Amino acid sequence: MSAPIPSPARLPPQLRATITAAAAVLATLAVAAVLLALGGHSPGAAFAALARGAFGSWDRFVSFTLVRATPLLLTGLAVALAFRARVWNIGAEGQLHAGALAGVAVALLLPGAGIALALPVTLLAAATAGALWASVPAAMKTGMGVGEVITTLLMNFVALFLAQFLVQGPLREARGVFNQTDEIPAAARLPELLPGTRLHVGFLLGVVIAVALWLYLTRTPGGFRIRAAGASVRAAEVSGRFSVTPVVWLSFLVSGAIAGLAGWIQVAGVTWRMYEGLSPGWGYTAIAVALLARLHPLAVVVTAILFGALSAGGGAMQREAAVPEVWVRGIEALVILAVLTADRIVQARARGAGP
Amino acid sequence: MTVAARLDSITKRFGPVTALDAVDFELAPGEIHGLLGENGAGKTTLACVLGGLLAPDAGVVEIAGRTVALRSARDARELGVAMVHQHFSLVPRFTGFENVALFNGEAWTRRGTVERTYRKRVEARARELRLDVALDEPVAGLGAGQRQRIEILKALMSETRVLLLDEPTAVLAPQEVDGLFTVLREVAGAGAAIVLVAHKLDEVLAVADRVTVLRRGRRVLTEEAAAVSARGLAEAMIGEALGDGAGGRGGADNGGGAGDHDGPAATLTGVTVDSPGAFPLRDVDLTVRRGEILGIAGVDGNGQRALAAVLAGMVKPDSGTAVLPREVGWIPQDRGEEGLVRDFTITENVALALHAKAAYRRGPWLDWAGIGDRSAALVDEMDVRAGSPDARARTLSGGNQQKVVTGREFLRAGELLVAESPTRGLDVKATRVVRARIADLVKAGDRPPAVVLISADLDEVLELADRIAVMVRGRLIPVRPEDHNPTAIGALMLSAGGPGT
Repeated sequence: MSAPIPSPARLPPQLRATITAAAAVLATLAVAAVLLALGGHSPGAAFAALARGAFGSWDRFVSFTLVRATPLLLTGLAVALAFRARVWNIGAEGQLHAGALAGVAVALLLPGAGIALALPVTLLAAATAGALWASVPAAMKTGMGVGEVITTLLMNFVALFLAQFLVQGPLREARGVFNQTDEIPAAARLPELLPGTRLHVGFLLGVVIAVALWLYLTRTPGGFRIRAAGASVRAAEVSGRFSVTPVVWLSFLVSGAIAGLAGWIQVAGVTWRMYEGLSPGWGYTAIAVALLARLHPLAVVVTAILFGALSAGGGAMQREAAVPEVWVRGIEALVILAVLTADRIVQARARGAGP
Repeated sequence: MTVAARLDSITKRFGPVTALDAVDFELAPGEIHGLLGENGAGKTTLACVLGGLLAPDAGVVEIAGRTVALRSARDARELGVAMVHQHFSLVPRFTGFENVALFNGEAWTRRGTVERTYRKRVEARARELRLDVALDEPVAGLGAGQRQRIEILKALMSETRVLLLDEPTAVLAPQEVDGLFTVLREVAGAGAAIVLVAHKLDEVLAVADRVTVLRRGRRVLTEEAAAVSARGLAEAMIGEALGDGAGGRGGADNGGGAGDHDGPAATLTGVTVDSPGAFPLRDVDLTVRRGEILGIAGVDGNGQRALAAVLAGMVKPDSGTAVLPREVGWIPQDRGEEGLVRDFTITENVALALHAKAAYRRGPWLDWAGIGDRSAALVDEMDVRAGSPDARARTLSGGNQQKVVTGREFLRAGELLVAESPTRGLDVKATRVVRARIADLVKAGDRPPAVVLISADLDEVLELADRIAVMVRGRLIPVRPEDHNPTAIGALMLSAGGPGT
């Protein structure tokens, strides 16, 4: 027993998980091919167009796939962290809107500020707003035992209607034509990450947060508590001798903050305005992104890019192969089902093999 | 005499454990038959065989004179054998009536609705049995006694020859127990045979016509209840322990010098805890010194849980004072749910104790290398049979899981270890390892810790403890050294039904 002990939560099971996920994705593509053929489309042409749209050139990959992956990456991380603590935060969508609104409002209030001030202040405002939005369900859960699945979900609608109200009223653009805000000042916009592409530093920030979360979860006492509480509340309290309540709060707030950043980063990096329908449901797709990654922060980077690629390729598929873009949503759904099913099968195997 | 049901030479094994060893058992119509035994004696297994939930490995089951092969509870149900489990199986959102109807297939019409007349039948049956049930309230809002009555009504809606009740009094308050017994007499009076699985002797004697005692999977006694005393039953349940108790108490010898190591490691004075449901603690005084093992005997569910939680510092007394060390090792009763995170590796489970200690941190980081070394050493010391410290706890056998929990809690037990049923459900070898480690712990070094051993296994308490106290209905009664034998302790376990309740 003197062999060196590698730190826990390492490879073998995760390698297996990766292989399972990859196999599930491949199986999905096979099923999708059959369905496309049955639907009268050419699967080869459809997939080729999809691949070209997502990866066809360096610029397609960077300016489309990675740009579209960015909000999914951030919300995916937010969901993964919360789920790790067994906090079922379905509210990333609402937290995203809260963050976007706060960022825009602060940016518009600071027209003269330099980039050194405007960027950090707006990012901080967005993160704070997201955390505040999450604090309502957090308080209801820890204080009154109200299930967060419902409360976070309902808070999404509140955020969406609040956004609608603000862009139609108080924050509406000065010329008053569309239901959108004025453009944010240049100082509040996220710089390009790669010159000549549309990729902004928000993507890099997402990767940095992914690495930070991974280190936090695997290497720090606080992260260890999140994992323990997420795996078994009773064991955490009795054997870990710590209260789960602060763990729930922390997970909720950080999750909300990251989702809040997602909203503002989309505005500051891509749209420069806030408007109705900013998000096509990233906060919900994020759940799939996180689950596909088995809630592993580094794997979220990969799955977010995968979903980003599907999104970027979908348009191309419609244009070039005349396959309606809605097929892409179907493929996304199939991926989720396949991965969850494969997951269950692997788990059942592992359990059956045990003593 | 006609026979309601008969088990002939039933044997049932679970892996290496023989739960029932060629057991014969007979039920007469209209009798209440108490089935007694210590934990793990095979009572529930026997009931499950008769109830169709477990298939015996050998032996014959006869119901109403016919040999039957029961493949499921449904099979047994159709032959008139109904079972009420310790944990109720009611749909919480449904009302009592809905639960009764759901369970009884004959209540349903072809269109999938409940027959209009069924309600009347349910009410009539409840009246017949003098069951006071709340039929129109969602079960979720009802107390344990009410739920149990619904469970019984549910079981008795169709014709019943045999009613099996597994520890029915465990969930009831004392007042409710009387009500239950009235109902049981009513049911038996109507001709059904009742099997009452229990380990509280006085309760069984109060209601049973006959009693059977199982010990380690064997039937050791079947008698008319009127012909046996509580003391005689206690002896039958504990059995051979008499011999063990006299000779095998290595701990007693060093008991004389045990208290000298240091002052008390923990002191409780007049501690009272009010807890809904389980027995609370009432005015408990307790002192335990370094280097000694204080054994707490008693039937499960008499306040042991609360005592352990108070000693571990997890529950604050409602009144009285608890002087406790800053850190206490606690081997909790339920290792699967509380002692371990099953999806964690051994090392991560060890980290549950170490992650809060400064020695296992480097700046903001956990020192996984250090924790891994400690975990590997623990695997060695405790003789955990696992591929590596990176094995998931889920993949370990119960015995090896318990060794991990025990070893980890030793890390916290610089001053005090609370061990709650530390060998329950373990095989002989693992039991020996865990007991030996606990015995060694109090002899280790200049300042050994104190141990409070809470166990329903009297053998274990007698084997390990220097001093013994008995827990009865939330009270702690010290046992004089000359009374350190199963008979005297058994009597104390029964005695305290009297005062204070």
